[in-house]
Amino acid sequence: MNPQRIRFVYAVAILAIFIAFPDASRAQATGATLTGTVTGPSGQAVPGAKISVKDVATGKSTPAQSDAAGVYTVPNLAPGDYEISVSADGFSTTTQKVTVAAGASQTLNVTLTSGLSLESLGFPNSQTQANPQEQARLNRRTHMLKVHQTLGLITTAPMLATVITGTFAGGRATSSTNRDLHVGLGSLTAGMYFTTAYFAIAAPKIKGEKTHGPIRLHKALAWIHGPGMVLTPILGALAYQQKSRGEKVHGIANLHGPVAIVTAGAYGLALLSVSIKF
Amino acid sequence: MHRKILIGLAVLAFSLLAAAQSQWALQQSTLTYVVTHPLHHIEGVSHAARGKGICQANECEFLIAAPVKSFGSGDSNRDLHMIQAVRGAEYPMVTVRTRIPQSELKSGSIHADLQVQFAGQTANYKQVPFQVTAEGKNLRLTGTIPAKVSDFRLTPPSLLTIPIKNDIPVRVDMLWSPAE
Repeated sequence: MNPQRIRFVYAVAILAIFIAFPDASRAQATGATLTGTVTGPSGQAVPGAKISVKDVATGKSTPAQSDAAGVYTVPNLAPGDYEISVSADGFSTTTQKVTVAAGASQTLNVTLTSGLSLESLGFPNSQTQANPQEQARLNRRTHMLKVHQTLGLITTAPMLATVITGTFAGGRATSSTNRDLHVGLGSLTAGMYFTTAYFAIAAPKIKGEKTHGPIRLHKALAWIHGPGMVLTPILGALAYQQKSRGEKVHGIANLHGPVAIVTAGAYGLALLSVSIKF
Repeated sequence: MHRKILIGLAVLAFSLLAAAQSQWALQQSTLTYVVTHPLHHIEGVSHAARGKGICQANECEFLIAAPVKSFGSGDSNRDLHMIQAVRGAEYPMVTVRTRIPQSELKSGSIHADLQVQFAGQTANYKQVPFQVTAEGKNLRLTGTIPAKVSDFRLTPPSLLTIPIKNDIPVRVDMLWSPAE
């Protein structure tokens, strides 16, 4: 083959390569430069920061490092999309995306945030993560206990009135009107009391809740005024029947008054236990 | 030639010094919130805070955090009510960030700008005074953050339908030590 023919074949081959791989030929000709300054949260230069420039299309990474002034330079980049990851001791690693244009010198300044985080303080995720279900339980609990508190306060009025009218209902010179008023107020008190109790008993329990403080006394007193509120109307009904028959109140019905007083006293104390600091 | 080497070494040393950082770690802490109600004066205390400080370029950044649930007022019912009111299950941590010039970390009084994240809100407190006392290598910081319920857009919790006062100052007593 003569030299002229060989040159012709080479020329055709090179032309064919340029036609087949136009991007490759352009990349060689249009290498871009990415440069910038790495600074900390207060604007101070961060020397020695490690920079990794990853070509999103090929996955190939090019490393670099910032100098004493925090400046970094990554030359010879093909045009395209890149992920820039910057890390330095004492700072959180930052990743940013940038599109590099052909032949351009592009500037990307990076501000690192402090490496201080809840994780860096050693708090486990379980302690720092939100728990919306528990918040919903707490909200429901608080709502029910607020109703419990309000109803409990209101109940003190008919309870007090029942105790006062009781002093006129049990004596020798009592009328059926006095007794009926006492029974009516007592029934109202019992109804309100058990509704109040329902809102405390049915309030959602919180996992890991350990009762301590004045609320313990409040709850303990419920073991006195709770049974008392069951017994008092029963004993009252017996006393009412005896009185209605014209008999003197006798037997177990005699305990109606003392049980009612203890019940009302325990109830009042329960109210004070959460209202006033002892 | 020797002069060039010396200048080079000096530049290198300066760069290394600029890059050097020191750290502080929170050793002990007592955070106390104070709630005032016509019937009560309540103090909730937490010793569970953790904190770290990173100093660079003569500035120290501090992060202090405590679980909301770690505050105890001496009554479990009240504490659960507090957690509910401040949405403590949704936002379980209270964090405080601040920057203090490294040169001010010595005995005396300092004023710090605080960024407090609590109950899903961020409140900034400017120039909060703290007393710094050196205890050997350690530093004790004491002061009070003038927090208010309204700073965090909270509905004030109430007892017997009477709401608490808006002011909920938080007393801070922290012992910091240099960390490796």
